[in-house]
Amino acid sequence: MEKLPINCEQTTNQLTDWLSNQLPDAERVSLEAHLAQCPACQAEADSTRQLWQLMGNLPTPEPSPMARVRFQAMLDTYKETVTEKQESIFDQILAKLRELWVPQNALRLAYSLILLTVGLGAGYWINHANSPTVAYKQQIDTLSTQVQEMRQMMMLSLLENPSASERLRAVSYTEEINQTDGRVIEALLTTLNNDDNVNVRLVTLEALAKLADNAKVREGLVLSITQQESPLVQSALADVMVKLQEKRSVKHLRELLRNDNLNDLVKGKIEQSIRDLS
Amino acid sequence: MLQVKAGNMDTMGLLFERYNRPLLGFLFHMTNQREASEDMVQTVFYRMLKYRHTFTGDGEFRSWMYHLARNVLADHSKQNKRSSHQYDLADVAERIGGGPAADEHVQKEQELDMLHRAMAKLSAENREVLVLSRFQELKYEEIARVLNTTEGAIKVRVHRAMNELKKIYLTIENGKIANKL
Repeated sequence: MEKLPINCEQTTNQLTDWLSNQLPDAERVSLEAHLAQCPACQAEADSTRQLWQLMGNLPTPEPSPMARVRFQAMLDTYKETVTEKQESIFDQILAKLRELWVPQNALRLAYSLILLTVGLGAGYWINHANSPTVAYKQQIDTLSTQVQEMRQMMMLSLLENPSASERLRAVSYTEEINQTDGRVIEALLTTLNNDDNVNVRLVTLEALAKLADNAKVREGLVLSITQQESPLVQSALADVMVKLQEKRSVKHLRELLRNDNLNDLVKGKIEQSIRDLS
Repeated sequence: MLQVKAGNMDTMGLLFERYNRPLLGFLFHMTNQREASEDMVQTVFYRMLKYRHTFTGDGEFRSWMYHLARNVLADHSKQNKRSSHQYDLADVAERIGGGPAADEHVQKEQELDMLHRAMAKLSAENREVLVLSRFQELKYEEIARVLNTTEGAIKVRVHRAMNELKKIYLTIENGKIANKL
C-alpha cells in the first residue's frame, strides 16, 4: 500500500460520507478544496462517485399489485384474531398460517377452519357435559378397590394351600394390601398359631409385627405366646414383645417359663425379655 | 406506529403504503430473490403487528422496521442456505449476450450487471450497510441503531464495504475486457 499524505488519506476515508451527504459543511468545503488541487484524489473520488451513482441506477423491483391485497388480507385476519381476544397458541398458529395464504384460498380455508372449530367446540362440549374426569376417577377408584379385594382373596386362599412356599407367598402379599381388614388379620393369626411350618409362622409373625398398630393384632400376638412350641418362634415372639413394649405379655411369658419342655436357651431369653419389659 | 400499538390497526395500512416499497428494495438487494423478498415483506409487516408491543416509540419507526426485516432475513437465509446469494441474471445476460457493446444503452446495462454481480459477491455484512446507506438512504446514525452499534463503527464499515465493492467491480470489469481481447 503506497503511503498517502495525511490529507489524502482523510479524503479517501471521507468519500462515502461526502457522497451520501453526511459530511458537515466545514469538512465538505475542505474536502472539495483538496480534491481541486490533488489529481490523485480527484480520480479516486470520480471512480467512487461513478460507482455510487451506478448503484443508484440499480433497478429495484416494484412491489407486485398482489402485495397490497395480501397485506390487507393478513391485516384483516389479524384484526379478527385480536378482537376475538383469544390469544391462545391455536390462534397464533392460525394467524401464522393465514399469513401464508393467498386470498383465493382464504375462503376455502376459512370454511374448513370454521368446520374444524365447530367440531372441536362440539367435541369439547360433549365431553364436558359428561364430566369425563369425574367418571374416570370413579372408574379408577373402583378398579383399585377391586384389585385390593382380589389380592385379599388370593392371599386368603393361598394361606390354605398345602405347599409351604405358597403360604409364604400369601403372607408376603399382606405387605401389598394397603388396608388389611379383620378377615386378613384373623387369617394371619390363625396361621401364626396353627401352621405346621416354622418358617411360615416366623414370616407371619414378621408381617403381623408390622401391623401392630392394630389392637386386635397386639392382643392376638400376646395370646399366641403360650401356644407356640417351636423355640425359634418363641424367642422371636419375645423379641417382638420387647420391641412393642407390650406389658400384657409378661403374664403369658411367665406362664411359658413354667413349661417343663422349654429349651434352656429360650428360657434365658424369655427371662431377659421379662426383665426388659417390667 | 404508536397508533397501531394503541390498537388502531387501520393505520397499519398507511405504514404499508409508505414503506413496503423501500422494504422490498432492501430485501431484494440483500437476497436477489424477488419472490422470496415479496414474501418477506409480508412477514415483516405481520411481525410488526405481532410484536407491536416491542415498539417503544423512541427511535424511529424505520430503524425498528429494518431491525425486524433483518431478523426475517436471517430466518430466510437459514432456511435456504443453498439458494441464497445466487441470483437470476438470465434475463439481463440474454440481453447483453447478443449484440456488440457499441450501444450506450447496452453498455449501461452491462455496467449495472457487473455492479449487480459485485454486490452479490460482497459479504452480507458489507452488503447490508451499503444497501441501507445507498438504497435506503439511511443516515449512519440510523444504521447504527438498526445494527445495534455505534455511528463510528458504521462509518468505518460503509467505507470498507465501498472499497471492497470497488475492488470486486474492477476485477469483474477487467475480467470482461480480458475476455473480449
